[in-house]
Amino acid sequence: MQSMKKLVAVAALALSAGLVSAGWSHAADTIKVGFIGSFASDAGRSTMRGAQIAIDELNAAGGVLGGKQIEMVKADTHEDVTEGIKAYEYLAETEGVDFIISGCIDDVSLGWLPRMTEYKIPTLDTWTSNIGIIDKLVEDYDTYKMYFMNVATDEALATLYVDFGKDILAKKMGWKKTIILQEDTAFGNAINGLVTQLLAPEAGIEVLDTIVYDTATVDFSPIFSRAVDSGADFIYLIASVNSQVVSSQYVKLQVPLAMTGVNVSALGQEYWDDTGGAGGGISTLSPVPSVGFVADPESQKFVDKYIAEYGNERPKYPHFNGFNAYWGIKQAFAAAEEAGGFGLDKWVPAMENQDLKLMKDGKLWLRYAFWKPGEVEERTQRTYPHNIRFDITPPYDDGAPSMVVIQWYENGDAKVVYPPKYATGEFEVPSWVKK
Amino acid sequence: MKGIMTPRHVALWIAFAAIMLLLPQVVSNGTLRIIIFANFLAIFAMSWDFLSGKTGYVSFGHPFLIGIGAYTTAILSYRFHMPIEYSIPIAVLTTIAGGTFFFLPALRIKGTYFALVTLAFMELIYQLTQVIRPDLTGGTRGISGVKTLLVGAVPNYYFSFLLMLGIALVLWVLARTRLGTALDAIAMNEEAVSGSGLSTTKLKLFAFMVSAAVAGIGGAFYVHYLGSIAPRALFDIDFVFTIIVSALIGGASTIVGPMLGAFFMTFLLEYLRPLLPGSERYLIYGLVALVLYVYQPKGIYAIIADLRDGMRSKNANNSKNSGKVGDGKAA
Repeated sequence: MQSMKKLVAVAALALSAGLVSAGWSHAADTIKVGFIGSFASDAGRSTMRGAQIAIDELNAAGGVLGGKQIEMVKADTHEDVTEGIKAYEYLAETEGVDFIISGCIDDVSLGWLPRMTEYKIPTLDTWTSNIGIIDKLVEDYDTYKMYFMNVATDEALATLYVDFGKDILAKKMGWKKTIILQEDTAFGNAINGLVTQLLAPEAGIEVLDTIVYDTATVDFSPIFSRAVDSGADFIYLIASVNSQVVSSQYVKLQVPLAMTGVNVSALGQEYWDDTGGAGGGISTLSPVPSVGFVADPESQKFVDKYIAEYGNERPKYPHFNGFNAYWGIKQAFAAAEEAGGFGLDKWVPAMENQDLKLMKDGKLWLRYAFWKPGEVEERTQRTYPHNIRFDITPPYDDGAPSMVVIQWYENGDAKVVYPPKYATGEFEVPSWVKK
Repeated sequence: MKGIMTPRHVALWIAFAAIMLLLPQVVSNGTLRIIIFANFLAIFAMSWDFLSGKTGYVSFGHPFLIGIGAYTTAILSYRFHMPIEYSIPIAVLTTIAGGTFFFLPALRIKGTYFALVTLAFMELIYQLTQVIRPDLTGGTRGISGVKTLLVGAVPNYYFSFLLMLGIALVLWVLARTRLGTALDAIAMNEEAVSGSGLSTTKLKLFAFMVSAAVAGIGGAFYVHYLGSIAPRALFDIDFVFTIIVSALIGGASTIVGPMLGAFFMTFLLEYLRPLLPGSERYLIYGLVALVLYVYQPKGIYAIIADLRDGMRSKNANNSKNSGKVGDGKAA
């Protein structure tokens, strides 16, 4: 028995030790792309799958850089900051990747950023919109120049969102008073600051009160009662954690007050199922291309491929970062072809010059290009080096808008309701709310 | 030192150091990066072991101490541009002060209650870093771009190893003094120690301060290795479990055991990455840890000791047998 026990223990040790060299052989004549992000989240999977579809297309077309095949290696971050750093180190040191595509959330990207500057690997972020990272390029371009972000920064998102407040909430709906329903997170605090200090004053909307709730809240009825009693014209919801809970209770309780705001769970096609069909009437800001966003013909081809390949697995429809990963990979390799590889001196300027205009019905619909160092954005009067070239001034003919507002209707459809150029539906209050 | 460190111990420590110092000549930079994380985890696990393994006051909130060290130096160096040579010692002193708060509950409660209170400490600092002065702490997003001490896998490997080795030696020696024995006795029967005339309050305070100092040193250098800090990376239940499991799998109350456990757990997880890049590797990781723990609850340290004792008795038997055979022949 004793010897059996020893055998088991030695086997356990040997199993771990025996894995030392496993899995590290790779073909010599390949270009390696590293994916960093969460394998379990819808956002992470969207980036991973978007990148994989682009890579498959490039390989099928004969390869890149003189016929080399592209191989994607993946490193899971579990949405954990330290795991993100380890994942970046793994891709850089063990796998020796040439380029990294990221579907990481804000703090995970910020975590591995120092490693990126150390390894100097060209890296494209497709999900985080943290202006703090772009600010690092503003302050120290040479150190961070290998970094690109092809989603509009949160500041650009906010600026266009103020327009929605003015045009729709104040002007069209005639709302003058709001009550903020905010989750108790830093994200909630940040968006609250934006609403109270920017959106509300510019749109002429008075913020009567803020109700802060815990993210573990399961019964929102007393909170909604307080909101209704406040005398507000509408509720401004700020929710990112388990936000399908507050949405579905709003619908089930038929709260007699309109509600809009930022609702992260409503960004994905799975929202309707996640709320058990009780998600109608909810609207939220979303980066583009969003749920309900009409795709241009080229992006539609990508969507069709995505659905054919992954339509039975969550997420069944790519999130915005899936599109970003698909086009981002194409642009990164187009730049590499021009530069003869991923050497920073030539690749960075080549990537800065990438410009993909996606047209629909003869109009500019989406644009994948980057703000160049020193180039000033007209409206905010600041620079956004290596951020996607967004356009926050109607008629949005210089780039894609930084965001759209989408609304889920009571029949389960999701449509874009703002800005008008991209709108496929009207902003509505739910049927149980008095107009 | 006589009796604490025998020539055999000296030889073993020197051999260990020599092997580790030669490692960069034979392994890849990727492996060195893994060892760097193992070195820091070993520091945290030894810090936990000196407090919880020795005295039996199980801490579930050790990241509270590590976080104080890490955040203090990160804020001072990044926000106030204080040189690292000042910010790190201040961070360690601040952590020791924080250790006093950690110690206060131990004056009145122990066991599960103490563990829960320490968990509350961690939750408290997690919330504080996000809400109180996010302009300093960076809120949920933390701080990115904290000055790193060294660049590259090899220099960081040498530095982290020497730091870990120094801490291990100090704690190992301390654990083998009469003070260490008294701390072990607290874990067994605190009332008996008190009854023998020793001040358990002073003894526990000593253990808490030493543990806090090590956590502070580890946390401060850790953040200057990572170059970034975020509350979710530190004040997280997974991080607590990794520290505790490393100590238990390695062998609690032995100092060397947590070091072995940290290396084992880090390597196991990282070497599974190419084969199982997703969450599946955590299943294997858990299973291997479980098998080891079921086989020998006293950890890897005890398994090695068992093997050593087995070999010794086998050699002794062989000598006896060969002696008997010789005698027989002679007869």
